[in-house]
Amino acid sequence: MSRPLFCALLACGALLGCEAEPTETPPTTPDEAPADPATVEFEARPPPVPRLTAAQYANSIAALFGDDIVVPPEPEPDAREGGLLAVGAGVSTLSPRGVENFERAAYAVAGQVLDAERRDRVLPCPAAELDRSCMEAFTAEWGRRIWRRPLTADEITRLAEVGERAGETLGDAVAGLEYTLAGLLQSPNFLFRRELGEPDPADAGRRRFTDYEMAARLSFLLWNVTPDDALLDAAEAGELTTAEGLRAHAERMYADPRSRDGVMRIFIEWLGLDDLDELRKDTAVFVAMSPEVGSAARTETLSLIDDLVFARDADFRGFLTERRTFVDRKLAALYGVRAPARDGFAPVDLTGSGRRGFLGQVSFLALNSHPTSTSATLRGKFVREKLLCQVVPPPPSDVDTSIPEPSGTTRTLRERVAEHLTNPACAGCHELTDKVGLAFETFDGLGVARTLDHGAVIDPSGDLDGVPFSDADQLVELIAGDPGFGFCVARHVFRYGTGTLDARDQEALVQTLADRFAADGHRFEGLLFDFIASPAFREAGRFEAGDVEAGDVQGGE
Amino acid sequence: MGDPMRGVKLDGILARGPLSRRGFLRGMLGGAAVSIALPWLETLAGKRALAQGSFPTRFGLFWWGNGMRPDAWTPTGEGAGDAWQLSELLQPLAPVKDRITVVSGTALKVPNDIPHHSGTAGSLTGMPLWVKSHEDQTMNGPTIDQRIAADIGGETRFRSLEVGLYPNRHTISYNGPDNKNPPEVSPAALFERLFGPEFRAPGEATEVDPKLALRRSVLDAVAADIGRFQRGLSAADRVRLDQHLTGVRELERRIARLEADPPDLAACLRPEAPVSEYDYIEGKPQIPAKSRVMADLAVMALACDQTRVFSFQVNSPIQNLQIAGSDQGFHNLTHDEPEPQVQVKRIVTSIMEEYTYMIQRLDAVDEGGESLLDHMALLATSDISFGRTHSLDEFPIVIAGTANGRLRAGLHYRSPFAENTSMVMLSLIRACGVNAGSWGAEGGYVEDGLGAIEA
Repeated sequence: MSRPLFCALLACGALLGCEAEPTETPPTTPDEAPADPATVEFEARPPPVPRLTAAQYANSIAALFGDDIVVPPEPEPDAREGGLLAVGAGVSTLSPRGVENFERAAYAVAGQVLDAERRDRVLPCPAAELDRSCMEAFTAEWGRRIWRRPLTADEITRLAEVGERAGETLGDAVAGLEYTLAGLLQSPNFLFRRELGEPDPADAGRRRFTDYEMAARLSFLLWNVTPDDALLDAAEAGELTTAEGLRAHAERMYADPRSRDGVMRIFIEWLGLDDLDELRKDTAVFVAMSPEVGSAARTETLSLIDDLVFARDADFRGFLTERRTFVDRKLAALYGVRAPARDGFAPVDLTGSGRRGFLGQVSFLALNSHPTSTSATLRGKFVREKLLCQVVPPPPSDVDTSIPEPSGTTRTLRERVAEHLTNPACAGCHELTDKVGLAFETFDGLGVARTLDHGAVIDPSGDLDGVPFSDADQLVELIAGDPGFGFCVARHVFRYGTGTLDARDQEALVQTLADRFAADGHRFEGLLFDFIASPAFREAGRFEAGDVEAGDVQGGE
Repeated sequence: MGDPMRGVKLDGILARGPLSRRGFLRGMLGGAAVSIALPWLETLAGKRALAQGSFPTRFGLFWWGNGMRPDAWTPTGEGAGDAWQLSELLQPLAPVKDRITVVSGTALKVPNDIPHHSGTAGSLTGMPLWVKSHEDQTMNGPTIDQRIAADIGGETRFRSLEVGLYPNRHTISYNGPDNKNPPEVSPAALFERLFGPEFRAPGEATEVDPKLALRRSVLDAVAADIGRFQRGLSAADRVRLDQHLTGVRELERRIARLEADPPDLAACLRPEAPVSEYDYIEGKPQIPAKSRVMADLAVMALACDQTRVFSFQVNSPIQNLQIAGSDQGFHNLTHDEPEPQVQVKRIVTSIMEEYTYMIQRLDAVDEGGESLLDHMALLATSDISFGRTHSLDEFPIVIAGTANGRLRAGLHYRSPFAENTSMVMLSLIRACGVNAGSWGAEGGYVEDGLGAIEA
């Protein structure tokens, strides 16, 4: 196991839970070829039944009917688990308000799809000849796309009948068909993903996802959208349950520009970049703050990932260590670097700016700060939890957590939070967070570089689990070199792609993915394809043995 | 779940309403299916309702995150009338002091595993928080608003209404584990949902839109889909799909209510549409402007009997809203502001001003000579008591309204030995007409209400 720290959550209510365990070295030595994740022993769990996320819903409507269809925003908020919407989708429900919003959205979409200008795109017969059999043909054709599987004869009859009766009531068959379409769009067969698997004909002891289920899994993983006709046809032809067919379609989809948006969701959810949409800063304190900063920062981070992963297929540790980023004029001013000549984003060299990689970006620095100040604790917690997959428990409930106001003798944050590191009730956990976070004090709560805090010189030095660093630049090198970083990337791909948190006995697979990732020069594309080929993506666990026991799934400790 | 036929009160004579009035008019006008506004009917309705003492009991939850300071919160003196005085933080409630009960000194008897969230669970569900991992927690059972709605929410267009001020990830209203009722935070969307084209004010009866019945037939088909979809799912996922089914059935019922005539209530007026979304200005929320617009809509939803249960979420646990001219977010201030925490006090006071506003608006709604406030219980509470230490002792509880004579008012009850806060909740649940034998679980479990606040 490469995760160097072990904090038993429940034992950590008081004070001793955050004592770091000695760092372990990764199990694989460089001269030994890592195992193939496709052949690793793996205990599949009963698959989740995810609700489509708001983005998946909107993307799917646009892919099905055209992006000129206006979709009401976020009918129901997404849930997160382990920080990921992809995992939260497996536990989230639909509130009565959500059902109401999805109904309204279904009629809004159906009305547009079947309006006078657009109806000819979707009707299998001329509008004037829309009779029962044409309604059934429509239901069969569009039902397969919307429900991601062929409909049964009974399902077709029932929904066509709804449309036929509505057409009679309204005296307008096309208007009646809106009710059929609205029924398809409100169904759990669209709003939830039911991927329960089937016995594997090649191995009676195992279950695999079906061809149509694989079409959906692949499509939501790579494009974050419902499968297109090509994938559904491949499913019908039985191509997606074979290793070769799966790889061929994954490669085809990865090469398509749509994979940039889809795969980017993995990073957005892992790093919490959606929160940038709600970035709030007190503009009296941070004069450079404006409403555009959050979305600009998000674009910057995604541009760096796009460059590393898609443009160059480069070592992903560059996400932390690159001395190059992508800025617009707003960010250029904020970073004090040369602004692009034109509107939009352009690459810029950061050498000499004290800033490198993601940890030098507003995305990290501002999101992990308070509205009026920095936070060494939040920044350190992010590095430990999100980048190294270590656990930092919440503070104990009964401790006075205040830090003193700046005064004549305690001006910098380091001086003010000294209490965290000397009070034994706090030190266990704050050793982990603050010593890392204080390295980034050379950037204020928005991400502007500074050397002074309340007039005193900032000392950004410290140590990462005993290895000293003099500033954030050196710390970033240590984090990128920690095997925990590669493991953490692999774990988030696993979690995002399976929609579950890894159970303890599934960790061998995650570790194997991480080992191959490291041996392969940390190429993200390789990791992703290893995951797709692995049993985690292709095998469905059984329900017969009963539901997953509570507590069987670990949160990352 | 309560018997849906139990306690058909508001509808009373006219409401059996919808149907019987249409029949009544049809008889008068020779069988023609016309609907006309007859203002005197509302007057009659009010009088009849008063004569029968039959306005329904409603429940409201006014909730804020990050607590208060017990030293500035607890009133001086105990008992009723002039025997007690409002504290510094409760000063805004002076104009309505005789309409409220302050309960001080009770405590949550649940483990305080996760600061803020444990207290939210303990106070609103009476149960310990379900801690899945250090970053994922959820409720173990329904929150008090949903427990009450399960019994009294079935007769109105909306089973319950959830209102919040600004987007956040922490919803306070739950039906059960991971089963949230996210609040509406947009004034325009809240108005549209409550008072949009579907809404009809008393007397606005029109021809029934045939599309309503068609929508119900689609929902029937969706309900059948859900049943088939559930086959072969795990127990946990079946529960999730049951929730989908509940939502579909409620929507069908809501549409059926739209096909009937609207409730006849003198105080019900179609409000004006909000003029703004009240977004953040320079990183700061627009409280009180937005708070009052949202409160007005919630109050009118009750006055028009669109719902009988609502929750009103000012902020969320740990949320760093900058309120009342503070120079940091509320949560940071609770931890970091030095004594005597002037800014924290000013923020809590300003939240109590919004609570007072809501009380006054409810009290201004005439219901047969009494006020809406007389016919409801409006609970104000938080996630913790003392913010700096996340304490669950000295839990903040204020109740406004007398729930149709079932609760006392003008009272400060000081718990002599840190009684269980769940007792207060059970009293409120029962006062709202729910025949509950107990509330909560484990340390939060109680079978007795708090007799001192019951009339």
